[in-house]
Amino acid sequence: MDDYLVGVLSNIGIVSFIALSAWLLLLTGEISFGQQAFFAIGAYAAGIATALWGWPLGAALGWSAAIAGGAAVLVGVPTLRLHGLYFAIATLGFAEMVRLLFEQFHYRVMIDGELVGPNGSDGFRGIRYIFENDVGSLQFLALIYLLLAAALAGFMLLERSRLGVAFRMIGEDDTLAALNGLAVARLKILAAGLAGALAGLGGGLYAHLTTYVEPRVFDVMLGVHSLAYGLIGGLGTALGPLLGVVIDIGLLESVRAFAGYRMIVFGGLVAVLLIVRPRGLLDEALVHRIGRLFVRAPPAGP
Amino acid sequence: MVDLVQNTIDGLMIGSSYGLLALGFTLIFGVMRRLNLSYGPSVMVGAYLGTLVYVQLAAGPLVVLVVTVLGSVLAGLYVERLCFAPMAAGAGVASMVSSFAIWMQLEQAAVLVLPRHTYPFPPLATADPLAFGPFYLRVDGLIMLACALALSAGVQLLLYRSRVGLALRATINNPVAAHLAGIDVRTAVVFAFALASAVGGIAGYLVLATDQQVTPMFGMWATFKGLIAMMIGGLGSIPGAILGGLVLGVVEANSQWYFGPQVRDLLAYVLLFACLVLRPGGLLGEAPSRQQDTGRRGA
Amino acid sequence: MTALRLAGALAAAAACLSAGAFAQVGAQAPQAQVKMRAKADVACRPTSTALHYDCTIRLTNARTGEPLGGVTLTVGADMPSMPMMHSVRPVAAPPEPESGSYRARLALEMHGDWALQLNLSGPLRDRVVAIVRFEPGRAESRPGG
Repeated sequence: MDDYLVGVLSNIGIVSFIALSAWLLLLTGEISFGQQAFFAIGAYAAGIATALWGWPLGAALGWSAAIAGGAAVLVGVPTLRLHGLYFAIATLGFAEMVRLLFEQFHYRVMIDGELVGPNGSDGFRGIRYIFENDVGSLQFLALIYLLLAAALAGFMLLERSRLGVAFRMIGEDDTLAALNGLAVARLKILAAGLAGALAGLGGGLYAHLTTYVEPRVFDVMLGVHSLAYGLIGGLGTALGPLLGVVIDIGLLESVRAFAGYRMIVFGGLVAVLLIVRPRGLLDEALVHRIGRLFVRAPPAGP
Repeated sequence: MVDLVQNTIDGLMIGSSYGLLALGFTLIFGVMRRLNLSYGPSVMVGAYLGTLVYVQLAAGPLVVLVVTVLGSVLAGLYVERLCFAPMAAGAGVASMVSSFAIWMQLEQAAVLVLPRHTYPFPPLATADPLAFGPFYLRVDGLIMLACALALSAGVQLLLYRSRVGLALRATINNPVAAHLAGIDVRTAVVFAFALASAVGGIAGYLVLATDQQVTPMFGMWATFKGLIAMMIGGLGSIPGAILGGLVLGVVEANSQWYFGPQVRDLLAYVLLFACLVLRPGGLLGEAPSRQQDTGRRGA
Repeated sequence: MTALRLAGALAAAAACLSAGAFAQVGAQAPQAQVKMRAKADVACRPTSTALHYDCTIRLTNARTGEPLGGVTLTVGADMPSMPMMHSVRPVAAPPEPESGSYRARLALEMHGDWALQLNLSGPLRDRVVAIVRFEPGRAESRPGG
């Protein structure tokens, strides 16, 4: 495969993680502008683990998911009683705090005759695990999509489980959900933690793909984009945010011809799309209709 | 001590522009219960038109002001038409994401028309700062502060002392009931958008005339400053918007002086986060009720 | 809490799946032999076309400091402030007569800071990132972490 294609596909796979992360929160009815914070935490954690501590990649990725998930739970507790716009702005504030803290974060270690490690706003270069260990770019691509497939399988299971129903119920009306005996607070923190872990895993993969991260990568643009993907692609299924990513990055790549007008066309398209389908292309109604094609029609009523 | 007072004075002046941006935000949010992320970028479009007539036609400051405000209003109405008017009730998130898409669009359009990174803006006042003992008052800062106080008082009066204001408040309170009472809700919404964009345009003009330059980043800057000031002051409160702006300005000016620009930005967000967690209603706003949960499905 | 238990099971399943995936990659982790590493100096100059820059890349062996000739080099770029969005399709950087020197012509979409990705293949597979600030009429390399 063409190196360039491999690169684009890798990007699509990695962005999908953070898009899924924002989508999971949308499912529970919360808008987050701040999932990039957990992506950043995951990227730095994984990069430090392999480049400075010499951990193997698998352990580093697990660690990035764990620490990002943990951070998400910690933030989830104080922001839990906020809703809607208040929650959205709180996550935005948190994410910018994290980004600006990384601007101040210096942790340099002499490795092999060279200083390596996060160096504030100058970034963190030399996360060279996949080159030192001869992981081919195709192999790494396979790893990304394997993990993505695992995450999607998890979501498919979730949708069929009581937990998935509980998440959607909270998203619909959390007072009603509480009246029905759901532990709303705990479930919301669980969702926030899972979403944080997903974003962190994506961040860990990102750091190893590019070999370089810097705080600017994780600004609000990334967060708002990942939120938008879920809404463009659709809220009905976990494939929605993936579709959103494919549309955005795929379109951006394919319409290089009119480079200067790209955002004008794309911005207009998204706005019109959201007028026609306010819950995205793959919304609940469409997913339900497709789902019905695969099961027997219910018996006609009396 | 002298530094602290001087920083606080400077902070109050720049903060008054944050307050104006927050005022526009709060007006739109009050009526729509939705977040317009394109608010700053539409002001930026106005400012770009302003600098265009300034650079191309050598227009005077007053013409630039008028063009900036008119441009902001037009861009604001475009956003309303595309992202808010056609959205069904219950599609608050869609409106917000759509306004983000239009933000990207406006920004690229502005860059296409004026591709350089910075463009000049006519200065607000070239007079020397006024000296009061050890302290200095910048003339443009004073104008900014005066404009902020006058405009917020004007908007407050308009809302509470005029029939248009009454109609607007009725719409804010309950659109369906307002409609039943014979109020043209659609017009009220358009009016609120135009008013908010005009206030934003004036704020944008004041800030840019003080900086004497405009960049494409101004849209994002204006959206975030307005948003933070609004949340600190209290959603839906006009005095709160101004107060939030002033508080943000004072905190920023002092932290910039004592700790540098990076810590300034960090502290602004810490203030925002702490305010939301400890006092979600902001300094002067009411505590959030279910009705204000804009992003939620039912909103 | 059946819901929480289910979530636990789910997380465990995902963990197992991913652990399986890593086993293969992770197994190659022994850091016994240290591999050769490349170091790059990048200097870019504007050309007569706006947003097009001529870049000279000097590759050296990071350990010995010797020029690194004979590798196949491609140069891609993306903007750190818009990760994975405004990427520049990688272009080949053919070698110059001087050993270890390569030249690439980049067509950017806008001015600002770009992270150039130097992808080495052939005798040495590596990726070196260089941060360069491109402005109208000039370009300047920025130190990195």
